[in-house]
Amino acid sequence: MNNAISIQNITKVYDGIRAVDDLSLEVRSGTIFGLLGPNGAGKTTLIKILTTLMRPTSGNAFVEGKSVLTDGASVRGMIGVVPQVNNLDRYLTARENLALHARMHRMRAREYGPRIDELLELTGLTGRQHDFPDTFSGGMQRRLVVARALIHAPRVLFLDEPTTGLDPQSRRAVWAYIQSLRSTMTIFLTTHYMDEADTLCDRIVIMDHGRPLVDGTAAQLKEAFAHSHVYELEFRANADRYEEVLRTFPFIRSLERRGNSFRLELRDEESLKPLMDGIGSKDLKGICLEEPSLEDVFIHLTGKKIRE
Amino acid sequence: MFRGAFTIWGRDMRVLRRSLFSELVAVTAYPITLYLAFGVGLKGYIADVEGVPYALFIAPGLISMTAVSAAFEESAWSMWFHRKVQRTIEEYRVNPITVYDIVIGKIVSGFSQGAIKGVAVAVVIFLLTPFRFPMAHFLAYLYFIALGSMVFSCFGTMCGTVIDKPENIGRIQGVVIVPLIFMSGIFFPLSSYPATILPVIRVLPTTAIFEGARLSLLGGVMEPVYTVTLTLTAAAAFVLAVWIFNRKIEE
Repeated sequence: MNNAISIQNITKVYDGIRAVDDLSLEVRSGTIFGLLGPNGAGKTTLIKILTTLMRPTSGNAFVEGKSVLTDGASVRGMIGVVPQVNNLDRYLTARENLALHARMHRMRAREYGPRIDELLELTGLTGRQHDFPDTFSGGMQRRLVVARALIHAPRVLFLDEPTTGLDPQSRRAVWAYIQSLRSTMTIFLTTHYMDEADTLCDRIVIMDHGRPLVDGTAAQLKEAFAHSHVYELEFRANADRYEEVLRTFPFIRSLERRGNSFRLELRDEESLKPLMDGIGSKDLKGICLEEPSLEDVFIHLTGKKIRE
Repeated sequence: MFRGAFTIWGRDMRVLRRSLFSELVAVTAYPITLYLAFGVGLKGYIADVEGVPYALFIAPGLISMTAVSAAFEESAWSMWFHRKVQRTIEEYRVNPITVYDIVIGKIVSGFSQGAIKGVAVAVVIFLLTPFRFPMAHFLAYLYFIALGSMVFSCFGTMCGTVIDKPENIGRIQGVVIVPLIFMSGIFFPLSSYPATILPVIRVLPTTAIFEGARLSLLGGVMEPVYTVTLTLTAAAAFVLAVWIFNRKIEE
């Protein structure tokens, strides 16, 4: 299988900050690739470089074999972009928005007319095609942006946090639509939502500070962190006293309290015995080993500190 | 070539067409008011200016002022709005068109709006007043209107490209555009200026637009100094606007 995207030692520095730091990776054709990371990790900068909106400080990237540095127009002819912030034209109707985009791609009216009909039908916007985007809900606007990115049948679709700010129903509608595109094109997706990456992506890279931290399928990443020894303890009573005790144990890496329950990560398997010895069984209601989620993997790698 | 520019221009004209009537009413109200106040209201108090009746003297300038102001406003606000608020410039840039397509499309849109609105004011003045001019002079006048609109459209594009705060666009209009227009002899002859200042006033591009337009429409004269000044200014403004936009996008 060929690579749809090839990123070679891309670095982007602005104001002394390395937003992307010597990053290299490849994305196979026909797959859904997920790029995860906290705010400021470098995801959007990387998408801007790949979509030719921004030039890297060094390195190069190729989309379907075309360089983003030297053959930007060819790259733009092959990609569709769903940006983080909706940039629909509010003075044009939904249909006119799609037609404008098609004309930018040198499509003729007889080509884009039926294509617009098809996409409006697929995104459930046929009945609203002559309305202005301002009158749409957030989910409808998002679906229109996705439809716009697909008018010219791109070979690579970039989705930058496509469901941020949407209600659960709209998120699932967008997911269903993205899944329907699977294997018809390569999809490069960034997201904050672990469930989104888990549901949609064939391969996931978690990045932070401009560098990739891990790379694999959702199952592989979770499996790699299965030995992280995360336990959930529940007490019948005296939770405050037990919290004080738990906080004194040096082998507990992290501790979270929810009422009488504690979620803790042990340093290793051998830490379980001194833990049980330390808390006894008098007030202990239950203890269970937790399967790590993709979110656990993410938090473990990128930390808990809130980014600006 | 420039297919993208044509597409962007087509989009802007489509949007203008939707609100053409209200736009034209709004844009003609101000110059018509000025014409009625100064040209008609003061008719009994102001004698002919350099042999030309005052109402006739100010009419070409009012039409030119409408055209260039509309060109500036459309270009500046449209570029700013599409760049900062609607972010459609970013959408244009992920399509297989060039930055030249975008900036040229926007400049031509500003120019077109200026021309349409200038013609609207001319028609209204023509219908409501005894203002008449020889049709043979019209082509020469159009040359000044077209290049003047181009200069102001380019200047508006530069402002909309580099200015991030909308209030600063308003300040540029108040502090630069309006004084430049009013200093260029719309309401009074340039001979009113002291002899020491006059050479400076004569080389202002706005003087070339307004004085050149008046001389061409009323006298059928294409004054070489004004023609050359305006042509060079339009060429320089176009190159500068494209260069600034390109640089801003590179950032």
